[in-house]
Amino acid sequence: MLETEQLVRTFKGKTAVDEVTLYLEKGESVGLLGPNGAGKSTTISMISSLMKPTSGDVRIHGISTISEPQKIRKVLGVVPQEIALYEELTAEENVRFFGKVYGLKGEALKQKTAEVLALVGLTERKDERVDTYSGGMKRRVNIAAALLHEPELLIMDEPTVGIDPQSRSYILEMIRTLNREKGMTVLYTSHYMEEVERLCDRIYIMDNGRIIASGTKEELKQILSDEETIVVETAGEAAAFFEEAGRHEKVRQVVLTENGAKLMTAKGARLLGWLFQEAESRGVTVTNVNVQTPTLEDVFLHLTGRRLRD
Amino acid sequence: MIRVFTLQLKRLRRRPFLVLSFFGLTVVFIMFMGGSQPGGSQQADIAVYPAQGEETGAWPELLGESERFTITELTQAEAEEAIRSGDRTIAVELSESNYRILTGVENELYPLIDSYVRQVFSEELRLREAEASGVGREDLEAALENPVLQTDTSYEAGGEGDFLYDPQLQVLFGMTLFFVMYTILFSLMNTASEKRAGTWDRLIISPLRKWQVYAGHMLYCWLIGVVQILIVFFLFDVAFGYPLAAQAGPLLLITGVYVFAVVAFGMLLIGLVRTPQQLQAAIPISATAMAMLGGAFWPAEIVSNVIVSSLKFAVPVYYAIDALKEMAIQGAGAADVLWNISVLLAFGVLLMGAGINLMERRS
Repeated sequence: MLETEQLVRTFKGKTAVDEVTLYLEKGESVGLLGPNGAGKSTTISMISSLMKPTSGDVRIHGISTISEPQKIRKVLGVVPQEIALYEELTAEENVRFFGKVYGLKGEALKQKTAEVLALVGLTERKDERVDTYSGGMKRRVNIAAALLHEPELLIMDEPTVGIDPQSRSYILEMIRTLNREKGMTVLYTSHYMEEVERLCDRIYIMDNGRIIASGTKEELKQILSDEETIVVETAGEAAAFFEEAGRHEKVRQVVLTENGAKLMTAKGARLLGWLFQEAESRGVTVTNVNVQTPTLEDVFLHLTGRRLRD
Repeated sequence: MIRVFTLQLKRLRRRPFLVLSFFGLTVVFIMFMGGSQPGGSQQADIAVYPAQGEETGAWPELLGESERFTITELTQAEAEEAIRSGDRTIAVELSESNYRILTGVENELYPLIDSYVRQVFSEELRLREAEASGVGREDLEAALENPVLQTDTSYEAGGEGDFLYDPQLQVLFGMTLFFVMYTILFSLMNTASEKRAGTWDRLIISPLRKWQVYAGHMLYCWLIGVVQILIVFFLFDVAFGYPLAAQAGPLLLITGVYVFAVVAFGMLLIGLVRTPQQLQAAIPISATAMAMLGGAFWPAEIVSNVIVSSLKFAVPVYYAIDALKEMAIQGAGAADVLWNISVLLAFGVLLMGAGINLMERRS
């Protein structure tokens, strides 16, 4: 349904998106995972025909969005990262306006407006001005405005940024419903690993403008199939302890965390005994140890040496 | 385009304060400033006094023949004291065949009074000269009523001679065109804010064409501007009796092209600045500067500095006020102000082109 071909976008000589090639099949839910500044929003802007790429092409149903953007715009529903709404208008007025822009009118517009407002759980408060809403409610209207014309492809650019856990969970469940029950194709960008893991069938991991890995969750975790992560939490100063751990032949990587560190080790390295011994000899108090199977966060860490939210 | 336009109207209904406040300010300023001006239905009082060792003779009576002026006779000492204390800003010293104007500060009455007194003196002295050569005054006055040759005097703005000036109309046109810049430019801030908020991008990736999005915003700002100007003109013409003798068609035309030029200037500003805050700062600076140079606060013709005076040709306000004065005072039609209309249209097209180009480059 969607394919991008070697997308490149440069700004004043700086490459924001570097040869990004990805595809989406109809009905798929695909995640674009990467830290802030990875180039996700720029990629989304090019896919949605808002921005022209420096080179490369985007095709939806085989039609280039670069040369014939007008032909594919009704197919797309884009939920921008910012709250792109008219705050002095009510939720219903906002949704109705965007419905009209997409060519809906009369009874169909009325019916779809009611449906979409019900879907985002705002029927009761549809007549209140958006500037009186909470952040989570605004996010829901932001999504509703993109759904009214029943797009085949829903592109969501970090739709849950800055909202409370309850609203976030509501939104994620809604997206899952749209994808699983209504067959809507979803391209979902986020730097929240757990959101992408929960929603998406396939994932592209992006960093510094490039796709550095792609596949299903399981395929990506296979990258670390021969590794395990030991999360060590300590009390007090332990820098020298973790430095020493980093020098151990079976430790591949050490990433310091707030309360300790994550050690990437070869699977079955049996390091725990050595760790406790070393801690005791250095007078370090270990408060918690947890051996984990790899997460997408670990995959990202392994690939880039950084955490997603760094 | 219509969808975007009606949306802006709906937003205005929800937040009308800004537009209404500029409309209110326009009316208040015109009433306050125009009410204190001579001209129109009001009479200006001219203080006169005899030159040292002379009599005022028939001059006070002759000067008092106009309905627009009343004459108050003072002594030289009284006149000088009145000027010194600020009770009066101007007084006329009369002698047998000449006059002098005594004034303490520069003021807008000077050209009006000077022009009027000069006219009365020159007519009377001509009659006296004719009388001296043996022609009877009554015969001469009768002959002047049916002249063999008639001379039409035309005014050339900025020329050596007099210029079109009616204090009330000056205030009416100046303040209306000045405040409407604020209304239009602040309304255009919606466009800048939409770009920042993301709704603009949302419209750009919708099935609407880009020109429709631009046109919807600009049509809204244009209409707000035109409606404000026309309501103010109508109000002061009908309710307050300002001498606005222009025909409706040409008035609408010049209003339309002026507002178009201001909307285009606003687009250029949006293209130049990076944030709505910068735009908020740029609007009063540019609007006030254009109003001052273009003659919205005082007649552009009284500016004596060559450089400052030349700058008026670079601002749309000048062409609009000039055309409005010609239409209101001289009853000029659209054809008479074709040059002004053309220049304003050219301003509009050029500024709009540059503005949209800059906006597109930035996005």
